[in-house]
Amino acid sequence: MSDMNSIYEEEVLELLEKLESSLLLLEITPNDDGLVEEIFRSMHTIKGSSGMFGYDNVAAFVHNLESIYDQIREGKLETTKQLIDVTLTSLDHIKRIVKDPDLKDENNDLSQKKLTDQIISIMGEQALQVKNDLIEIKDDLVEKEILSYYISFIPNEDIFDNGTNPLFILDELFELGDCKIFPQFKNIENIEDFDPTKCLSFWELLIATKSSKEELKDVFLFVEGDSEIKIETLCNYNIVEVEPTKSFVTQLNKIECGNPINIEELKKIISDNPVQKNKKIIRSNSVKEFNKEVEDNLTQEKRISSIRVASDKLDSLMNIVSELVTTKASLSLYAENNPTPELEIISENVEKLSRQLRDTAFGMTLIPIKNIMNRFQRLIRDVSAELGKTIDFEIEGDETELDKNIIESLTDPLMHILRNSLDHGIESKDERQAVNKSPTGKILLKAFYSGPNVHIQIKDDGKGINPEIIKAKAVDKGLLSEDADLSEKEILDFIFHPGFSTVNEVTDVSGRGVGMDVVRRNINDIRGSVEIYSVVGVGTTLTIKLPLTLSIVDGLLVKIGSSNYVVPLSVVEKCHEVSYNKLDNLFNKLLLLDGEQIPFLNLREEFKITDGAPKITQIIIVNNEERKVAISVDNIIDEYQAVLKPISKYYKDQEFISGATILGDGTVALVLDTNKIVSKFSEQIKKTEKV
Amino acid sequence: MKEAVKEAETHKMTSYLSFLLDGEYFAVNVAKVIEILEVPNITKIPRAPEYMTGVINLRGSVLPIVDTRIKFGLPKIDFKVDTCIIVLDAEVEGETTKVGALVDAVLEVFDISEDKILPSPSINTNYNLDFISGMFRADDGFVMLLNMDEVFSVRDVQLFNNSNESQLDDEGDYGTEMHND
Repeated sequence: MSDMNSIYEEEVLELLEKLESSLLLLEITPNDDGLVEEIFRSMHTIKGSSGMFGYDNVAAFVHNLESIYDQIREGKLETTKQLIDVTLTSLDHIKRIVKDPDLKDENNDLSQKKLTDQIISIMGEQALQVKNDLIEIKDDLVEKEILSYYISFIPNEDIFDNGTNPLFILDELFELGDCKIFPQFKNIENIEDFDPTKCLSFWELLIATKSSKEELKDVFLFVEGDSEIKIETLCNYNIVEVEPTKSFVTQLNKIECGNPINIEELKKIISDNPVQKNKKIIRSNSVKEFNKEVEDNLTQEKRISSIRVASDKLDSLMNIVSELVTTKASLSLYAENNPTPELEIISENVEKLSRQLRDTAFGMTLIPIKNIMNRFQRLIRDVSAELGKTIDFEIEGDETELDKNIIESLTDPLMHILRNSLDHGIESKDERQAVNKSPTGKILLKAFYSGPNVHIQIKDDGKGINPEIIKAKAVDKGLLSEDADLSEKEILDFIFHPGFSTVNEVTDVSGRGVGMDVVRRNINDIRGSVEIYSVVGVGTTLTIKLPLTLSIVDGLLVKIGSSNYVVPLSVVEKCHEVSYNKLDNLFNKLLLLDGEQIPFLNLREEFKITDGAPKITQIIIVNNEERKVAISVDNIIDEYQAVLKPISKYYKDQEFISGATILGDGTVALVLDTNKIVSKFSEQIKKTEKV
Repeated sequence: MKEAVKEAETHKMTSYLSFLLDGEYFAVNVAKVIEILEVPNITKIPRAPEYMTGVINLRGSVLPIVDTRIKFGLPKIDFKVDTCIIVLDAEVEGETTKVGALVDAVLEVFDISEDKILPSPSINTNYNLDFISGMFRADDGFVMLLNMDEVFSVRDVQLFNNSNESQLDDEGDYGTEMHND
């Protein structure tokens, strides 16, 4: 059962998210009928599944909301800001009561009542009659039509054996509408043969109901398997109450039990009598066509959209693919050492296939960043209203795809950044007008690919960050000495320092000084980096750089001493060969390559490896936060797909190693994080210089 | 009745795995032991504390290896034929993690009743006593019973990290690959 509940919850939350984005769009284009239709349909689905899973409070609540959009759809109501406000709050409320379906929490109970009142007042008088009756409103389009059906229900003779009482089923049918029942009996030759444990009766019914054929079928759900059930649609009016059939039906009542209904005659009466049909038939047809269209749309949508897969299944797929990549490396190594033409072909094919499999499997774990953008739109909308600022929030490149794990860990940092932009970045309307800016602030969220990375930029046109203020604050907090000579970029970096906040008062929105350092830490945790760029008076841009995926890195396999290391290809700029002696005579740790002076780190020295330095050493030029740094390794072996495995917590102080990978021969190679290497060891260089 | 219960409790048998470190006998509760491995290629982690020997590939996952001798204040392990890795479950920051402990030789699994366990010695030892939960008198001397959670606790690991950083700089012999041959 809890399984069902979680399926339900997941479905509803997904629909709510969709609703939220549609609503936000509707606010911009209030007359978009398509959107209203979409909103209505989503609400309808929520109501339907809530009723199905027994979340009656949710269903009743959504029902009222749905009625509003039904009226909008029919042109009886206008979309207003107030309406959208109430709807959005209602969606939040639904999110809560999905977890608390019985409204045990008093607050939920209270807000349910309050919101219901608001909704009803929006709907106006006519809506009051709408009750929370769920069974009847399964499908509003058909609801207005009464259809008449002929049902024949012949239960299996052994039906009593499993405790079913067919009379209950008839009772249930009675509740659905006007129903005439004609019981029949199977022939018994001799009274001695009569077996009271067998069901020898069967029934014919005429029913006029608002329910659909499917719903009628549902009544027989539990006896379907072993009974003979026939449901025929007869006509689209109440066969029991309306002439010409009324008299026929009354006649039937007088017929003795046991005579079957002459259904053919009834049909003839119906077809011979077109009087009642005209208008209604047309309508019912159009309704049917419309329904069909909706159904078609739905099935089509299903066909082109996706299937749902539990995310841990994806994770285990990724694990298996990673293992395969490792095993493939062993195979390639073996094939290389034991060269036979057949083996080489097999090994090459396996390599090709595993590469394809890896890419496909990766593609599956990538989801467009769009999935989290709704939340931001909502956040901007609410927070800007709270702060009395008007914001023009733009999103670019929301189809950019990222690993789902990265996207998950990205939400909180982005929220923080956007809040900061809203609160501190964008000035109040008056301030903006005073400096000749448009009173509407602008925030742009832009995602794009850049090489093997994804960049996400948050750009505002607010007041920017004044480095002088930051510097003063840093000095004030004792983080910096007054005469320190730092570049603007280095000063702005203090924003990410723990406990650093330049706003004196703490607001609801931000300003506790825990924001930006957490942002940087969270982003570092997913192997990303964050940079800030700001011009006073013009605005601030934050750039988050992220890897596409967390689990496999394309890299250069290198050797230093007797150990293997992997340098991620994403940072590698160029490789050079230099004689080792040259490194020892370096002045100022700068290496002259291609006419450029490049800061240099000798990894042999940094890793304290003394023995066996090669005569010729390989220099790899890596990108380190917009500058180039050269690192030396003994030997570059090959390009390698490294499946990242965490190294134990015991090595958390060795943060310049971002993980380990297992090579074809079963040994472990360490994956280097060159940014951390540079920051760690260049600090040491600085320290030693001071001494 | 009460006495009978007490008697049963005191005679509860526990299994220990014994091993050799620098000629001394040690033992660890078998419940903590996952497996015993021969020493494969160990990949050194640069600039790690000296007792963190490196990492190995344990069927596709990365297992950190600890030089138990250095950890106990004994001289660094000398790789010989008998040198083994005992893979153990250790508690690190509230999570159970696997860790491999390098020992000179693995001896045997034996059962002892808890009333035979003596409190740990307080004098005359040349190794770190914090890790020893008790001792036991065997035919050929004393066996130290180890408290493995204490040995591999992260608090301790950090403590060592700091104190070893300088030591590491002094010795400067990091990065040489170790083999068991």
